[in-house]
Formats: sequence, C-alpha cells, structure tokens
Amino acid sequence: MVKDAPIELTEDEAQLYDRQIRLWGLESQKRLRCARILVVGIQGLGAEVCKNIILGGVKAVTMLDHENVTEEDLCSQFLAPTTAVGKNRSAASLERAQALNPLVDVKVDTENISDKTDEFFTQFDVVVATNCPVKELLRLNAICRNADIKFFCGDVFGFYGYFFADLQIHEYSEEVTVAKAVKPQTNNNKKQKIEEEKVTRKGSSIFVPLHDVLDIDWTSDEYKQKLSKMDSTFFLVRILQCFRSEVNRNPKAASIESDIELLKSIRDKELAKMNVNTDKVPDSLFQMVFAQLSPVCAIVGGVLAQEIIKTVSQKDAPHNNMFFFNPNNHLGQIFCLGN
Amino acid sequence: MGEMATAAGVLGADLHNKVNNSKILVVGAGGIGCEILKNLVLSGFKDIYIIDLDTIDVSNLNRQFLFHKQHVGKSKAMVAKESALKFNPNVSITAYHDSIISTEYGVNFFKQFNVVLNALDNRVARNHVNRLCLASGIPLVESGTAGYEGQVELIVKGKTKCYECSPKAPQKSFPGCTIRNTPSEPIHCIVWSKYLFNQLFGEEDGDEEVSPDTADPEAAANAGESAMATDANEKGNVERTSTRSWAQSNDYDPEKVFTKLFHDDIKYLLSMADLWKERRKPSPLIWSSIPEIANNGQSTGQGLKDQKVWSLKECVEIFSESCRNLSAQFKKLPEGDHMVWDKDDVDSMNFVASCANIRAHIFNIQRKSRFEIKSMAGNIIPAIATTNAIVAGLVVMFALKVLQEELEKCQCVYVRSKPNHKLQQIVPEKYLSPPNPKCAVCSPKPEVTVRLDVNKQTVKDFVEDVLKKSLNMVAPDVMLMPSGSIIISSDEEEMDISRLALTLADCNIIDGSMLEVDDFLQNYNLTVKIKHREPGRDDPLFDVIADPDLLKPTEEAESDKNGSKNGEGDAKGYEDDDDDLIMTVDDEQLVIPGSSSTKRKVEEEASVPVKKRRTGNSNEMLATPVEDDDDIAIIE
Ligand SMILES: [Zn+2]
Repeated sequence: MVKDAPIELTEDEAQLYDRQIRLWGLESQKRLRCARILVVGIQGLGAEVCKNIILGGVKAVTMLDHENVTEEDLCSQFLAPTTAVGKNRSAASLERAQALNPLVDVKVDTENISDKTDEFFTQFDVVVATNCPVKELLRLNAICRNADIKFFCGDVFGFYGYFFADLQIHEYSEEVTVAKAVKPQTNNNKKQKIEEEKVTRKGSSIFVPLHDVLDIDWTSDEYKQKLSKMDSTFFLVRILQCFRSEVNRNPKAASIESDIELLKSIRDKELAKMNVNTDKVPDSLFQMVFAQLSPVCAIVGGVLAQEIIKTVSQKDAPHNNMFFFNPNNHLGQIFCLGN
Repeated sequence: MGEMATAAGVLGADLHNKVNNSKILVVGAGGIGCEILKNLVLSGFKDIYIIDLDTIDVSNLNRQFLFHKQHVGKSKAMVAKESALKFNPNVSITAYHDSIISTEYGVNFFKQFNVVLNALDNRVARNHVNRLCLASGIPLVESGTAGYEGQVELIVKGKTKCYECSPKAPQKSFPGCTIRNTPSEPIHCIVWSKYLFNQLFGEEDGDEEVSPDTADPEAAANAGESAMATDANEKGNVERTSTRSWAQSNDYDPEKVFTKLFHDDIKYLLSMADLWKERRKPSPLIWSSIPEIANNGQSTGQGLKDQKVWSLKECVEIFSESCRNLSAQFKKLPEGDHMVWDKDDVDSMNFVASCANIRAHIFNIQRKSRFEIKSMAGNIIPAIATTNAIVAGLVVMFALKVLQEELEKCQCVYVRSKPNHKLQQIVPEKYLSPPNPKCAVCSPKPEVTVRLDVNKQTVKDFVEDVLKKSLNMVAPDVMLMPSGSIIISSDEEEMDISRLALTLADCNIIDGSMLEVDDFLQNYNLTVKIKHREPGRDDPLFDVIADPDLLKPTEEAESDKNGSKNGEGDAKGYEDDDDDLIMTVDDEQLVIPGSSSTKRKVEEEASVPVKKRRTGNSNEMLATPVEDDDDIAIIE
C-alpha cells in the first residue's frame, strides 16, 4: 500500500525513534516514514491526530481546513495559538505542528475539501476526515476506494467521540506467541523446556465503505439483535451527524437551548426509523455534546492515530470498522458494522 | 467569551465552576505528564502544580511533545510549564524541578489539592505518593503505560484499593552464583557487566561482586580447594582488597583489567571443577590473541550501528576505549564521589555492552547487539505517544469525575493492545476494587512479616534494604516492642552510628520479635514481625510478606514466572528516567458485561480482593506494574 520503497533510517532517526522502534520494529518505522497523510479538519481531534502521527515520524502530513479558529476551538485545539481566533485553522497550526518533529514535512491547505478534485487525493496514502458532513464523507470515501487510499473519518462531539475506517482489503502481519519445546542449552539441565516463541503471521481484513454502514436496515433480524448491544454513543453520533447535515454546523454553546431542542427532535425521528426506544439517548446526554473536550480528543485521537500507524506499517490487525468512546463509563469499543 | 466561556460551553456551568476553582497536582512531566498538562490547561483548570526531577533527553522527544530538540538537558517540569502556558496564558502553573520524595512535600503540601494525578515512571515514587495521598486524604489518580497497554485507577482511602494493596511481582533477580560463576543467558552477562561498572566506577555494593564466588554450594564439595585456601576470604570472595582499588592500583589499564576478568578469573572458575561436571566449560581469553570471530550472523539492522552484533575483536576494542574514557572521567570526580550507570551515556553503555559480549563469548552464550543489550540493561519498556495520549485523556476524565464527586464511575480502566473478545479496547472494570484489609499500607493497622537471618542481617542492611528499598520508607524510626527501645532513629543526632554494624540478633531482635516502624514524612506506621530464616543458594537475603496466607509455599513459583515475563524494573533508581511506567492489565480482572459466569467471578474477586488471579492461561497478561526505563533490579 505504501508506495515508496522503504529506505534506511539515519542514525538521528534511530535515536529519536528509539523507543517506538523497540516496540514496533525497524521495518514498521521505515514504512511509517514513507507515509503521506491528509488530515481534514484541524479542530481538537484533528490536532491530536496530527500531533501523534507527526511525533511517530510519518513522511508528510497535510493539514487541510478552510475554516477559521473559533473561541470554541481553544478548549481542545492546542496547535493554534490563542491569538489566532479568526485566522485559518490549518495555517495557524503550522508552526507548532512542525515544531513537534522537524523530520516530518508538514503542509497547510486552506481550501475547502469539497472544492478538491479526485486527482488531489492521489498524492496521499491515508486520508483522515473530521468535521465533515456525511455527504462529503461519502464522496471522499468513494474517491479513496477508487484510488486505493486508506480512509478514516471521525469526530468528537463534546464528551463523545468515534471514528470509522475503510481500509478496503488490508494485509498485515502480526506477531503471535506460540509454545515450542527447546533443547537444553547445557547438559546440566536435562529436561526439555517449553519456551514461548514469537512467530510472525500474515493476515488480511476486508472493509466496507461508509455507505454500507449508513444503509444498514436496523429492523432486519441480524441488526435488531446487534442493536440491543449498541452503546448509546453510537446513536448519539448518528444524531449529531444528522444535525450537522441539517444545519450545516455542529451544536454551539451560544445557541445551546435551541440546539438541544433540535437534537431531541432529530433523535425522535432517527431512532423511530431504527425502531429504537428514545431511552437509548436520554435528554441529559445532549448537555455533553458541545465543542470538543480535550481529554476525549486525546483518547479518540490516540486510538485513531495508532490505527493509522498500524495501517501504514501493516503491522497488527486493524480495528474493523468503527470505534466509539463512551465518557460515562470510559468504555472504548469497536463495532463491526455493514459487513 | 474567551476561553473561560468555551470551557464552560463544553463542560457545562456546574462542572466548569468546579474545575475553575480546583487545585491540581501532577506528579511527573514525562510522556503521560505532558499529555495530562495539555488536557488540564485546555479544559479550564486554572491552578496546576507540576513536579519532576528529570531533565529532557533526545529519546523523550518522540512522545513528550511539550519538549523539542532545543530543550534537551533542561528541566522537564520547567519546560512543560512554559510550553503548556502557550495553550492558555491565563492559567497558573507552578513547576518544581525536584523529587516528590523530599521533606518539602509532606502531608501539608498534599492537603492543598483537590486531586493528585500521578504520571510517574517508577514504583518508589508511586508508593511514596500513594502513602502521602492516603495520609492526607486526597484522591489519587494513578496511571501507567507500557507499549500499547495502559491503565488508570482511582485511589481513595477507605473506598478503593491503594497502589500497594496488591503485592507487586518481585523484581527479577538472579542468584549471585549464576551471575558470578555460571552464567547461561545473555542477561546474566549483562547483569554482571553492570555490577562490574559499579565495582569500578559506581557505587560499590557488596551484593554486586563480580569475582568468582568460591562459597557456591554447588562447588563447595571440593571447590578449587587449593585456590580457596589461599585466596578466598570468609565471604567467599576472592581476595583482591576490592575490585576498584585493584583497578586503581593498575591505573585502569584495559589490558590488565581484561586479563584479570576474562582470563585469570575464568581460569580460577575452571579450577572449581564441580561446576563444570555438567556444564560446558568457559574458555579464558588471552589479550594478545583474540580469536577472529565475526558477529553471530544475526545482524538485523543493515546500516544502523546499534543493530549490529560486534565481532569479538570489536568488543575488545570498544571495551578498551570505554574503559579508558570512563576511568578518565572517574579520575576527575572529587575523592569519594562515584559515577552512576546511565544507559544513555555512550561510554557507560558501550562498556556494559562490550563486557557482556566478551563474557558471553567466554561462556558460549549468544552475543547481542548494543540495541538489544540496551533494552535489557536499561530495562526499557518502550513508551509511545498514542498510548500516553489515551491514558492521559482517561486520567483527566477521572479528575473531572472526582471533582463531580462521581467516584463510583471511576472503575479501573485498562487500555489493551488488542481488543478483547467483546471488541473492547478501552475497558473499565465493573466495580471499584475495595481496599485489601491486609494491605501493609492502607489497612487500619498495617503489619508485615519479614523473613531473614537475624544472625547475619545487620541493622544497616535492615534499614537500607528492607525498610527503605523494599518497604519504601524514606526516614524510618524503629522501636523494639514491647520495651519501646529505639533501634533506629531517623534523627541522625539521636542515632548511635556504631549500632549500624551490629546484627539484628546483637540488638535482641530475634525470631518472633515485633518492631514498630514509623516514617514521619509519609505519616506511615507499620508493625514488623521478624521471622528467622537462613536463606539457601537461590533465596533472596530476606523477604517481606504482607498477607500471612502468602507464607504458604505455592506463591513463589508464580511470582517468579511473572517476574521473568515482565523483566520488570525496580525502583532502585528513582532518578532514572524516562518514561511513563506502567501498571498492567490483568485479563481476568476485566469485566465482561452480560456474562453471568464472569459476573460471579468478578463479584467473588471483589470480596477477596488481593491475591493472585494468576492462572496458567497462556494469554494472561501481567498483573503487576512495570516501569519504563528503570534500572533492572538486581537485589542479589
Ligand atoms: Zn492498600
């Protein structure tokens, strides 16, 4: 998947990335440093993802955002200075993002993602889309499928967060521990010892596009059963995506009361469609979906960035295909939907 | 508006108000500490204290994102403060470049905070903060990571288990005889080389002898009798005043040091014929004719020099060079001062890597690359940015819940490297774990039993090894009960120094004696019961048992297994470094909602909180804290 051939690390890189090389190995690090990544939407979650992959040592990160820094960003977006309110988010984030790791090529793009042609995306190995309406996500996902680009999308709404992955057909290797009998090293020790040995095994995962998840018939027998196990975060995210599509923005603290009313009506409508009781998303949760809470960005952005690292290094089985974080019980769970 | 309003927007007015008026202590400004600080500042915390003793190293920069290249060598706490203030200049951050284990940070210091967040990398400091939070009644959020795994837990006196409620696996230690006489694995040679470093340049420690041990019970039958008669002293060490004074008298000449260690001592070991009846004999090396032996053909790293396995000749060259450089540095130190082994110091690391490989060659053990030896010698448990970010996020989520007085929502959370069968990756336990009623720290009347040889253990060793290193006290006072006679006083003026050299038996401390130990700084009182035991060849010099049930024999094999799996670091060096420790993930502790059998199990565990849940499962995870980058702990 990663297009450039892995090249040797320099001594400086080996020193800087010492700890992570001890964890994921030299090969992974070499693949990582060939990966070019587009991050769309540089709010709290986008900033966390950028931070983690820049620290990890990818080849290049393009931060794309056509919007300006808002007051609300200040409680989670640490790459833009507090004085940058009103200035373009990605441009305002460049200096700090680059300072995280001078070896990574950090670029800024201030255009609207919806103005980008299909051609634009072919320069990337991975696309991560945040703060986009569903319509745009579907378009990006389709472009990525055509161009064999790994696609992620995700959001943090207040205390809640999720992400989705479409890696198409993804091949990876993973280390597994197997028991093996070893011959005694010294003749002193005559009995056969059983030792654990690590062996590398190949695997592959097949992903589905986002529209398969959105098109799920929740009244079908298969999904009726699944539904009962779904965390409330799942439904909340769906309601918020509808909200965004409907009014072309996220809920805002400045209009908290009317936004909560709108969220409630969207909930009633959407959950009815899915044949789900409205109890699944009690009113009280709607107090917790404003702006982005920094620790939640850190949690979701941490898991998402690790998935990107897994993907480009082709090491270990990726999460297939949705991750949700529930802030009430601190549960972070993966759901396999639409397959 | 302004960031006040935005924090209120995300948190809601009530929580925002609590956050705004809270005072928080972050202990540690490493990988997790940097992330915590960022989250706190952005979430509207206004009064934050942070303390860290460390300075910034290059190998921190891949995850400790508040530090950049120009900050290498500077105080972590100070730089973290400056960087975090840029995220929100309107907050107050008080930074201390200091150890939390200091008389300045006692109970009164802790009492000013609403919650304490630990972001430490070693067990000593964690134990200490645990005790101070218990003593001052302040909630503590404890956290750790190791690789892809992490853990966060809330500790509140009387409500949850404390950091020391569950016995931690003992650090992996190796019998002295194996290290000195019969190494069979690379780690034995690495441990020996670290001892050698200390014998030559570091803090001399009688437990870290590198010369042949003629008191080895396996060899004692006819152990190199002639040699023993002439050279060995009563402790079994070959007489050579000390390794250091011998080396000094030879001006640390690499050839002489080499010949002594890798020829004469090996010859001597060969004379202990019983050792080699069933082992392959070691082959002494001669300085002037080092055989041409290339690397073992297992070089992995193409270009990178640390990844190569040195040839024997290269080992000898690197040994000579590092020995010369280290002795030159050592000679510059003031009289009586010593060096401290540091895996990130080039010469110190080269010295240990080359000596370990030379010794490995002598004993027919596979040689390793410098990269691999560094992992083992430095006991590096790699830390990465993503896991640190996730764990720090959870820590601040816990802090918010503590301020909202929702302690019941702060069950221990595990971050797993792979999702469990329920596809959960970040997994909360179902219940808060209650305190262990037999805990040596947080139970109402803490008590432990210490097994040792009262006729051999000196008062000094009892204080240093048992009370300080093992029981983690800082400044203990010891009274023998019931008489109340003072054995040890932390007040140096009151302490009779001459008593330190006496054995416990000399001070009337014998089998069955009861001691009252009091650590003023930690506000910690402990009753210590003494049990006399003469240790065997492979036994530690002493052991500490908190739960009398654990005196039963089955436990030892278990803990050994855990220890070895873990390669866990000990707290010996609070100063050493880096990272972000871990605690770990015990699979069976995880709660799987909806499964009745598991539920029952969890409930049972809740009523019998401590003891081990280690079964023989092959996929079990470690139940003990691991620490990043601590020195390997070799007590014996
Ligand atoms: Zn306890």
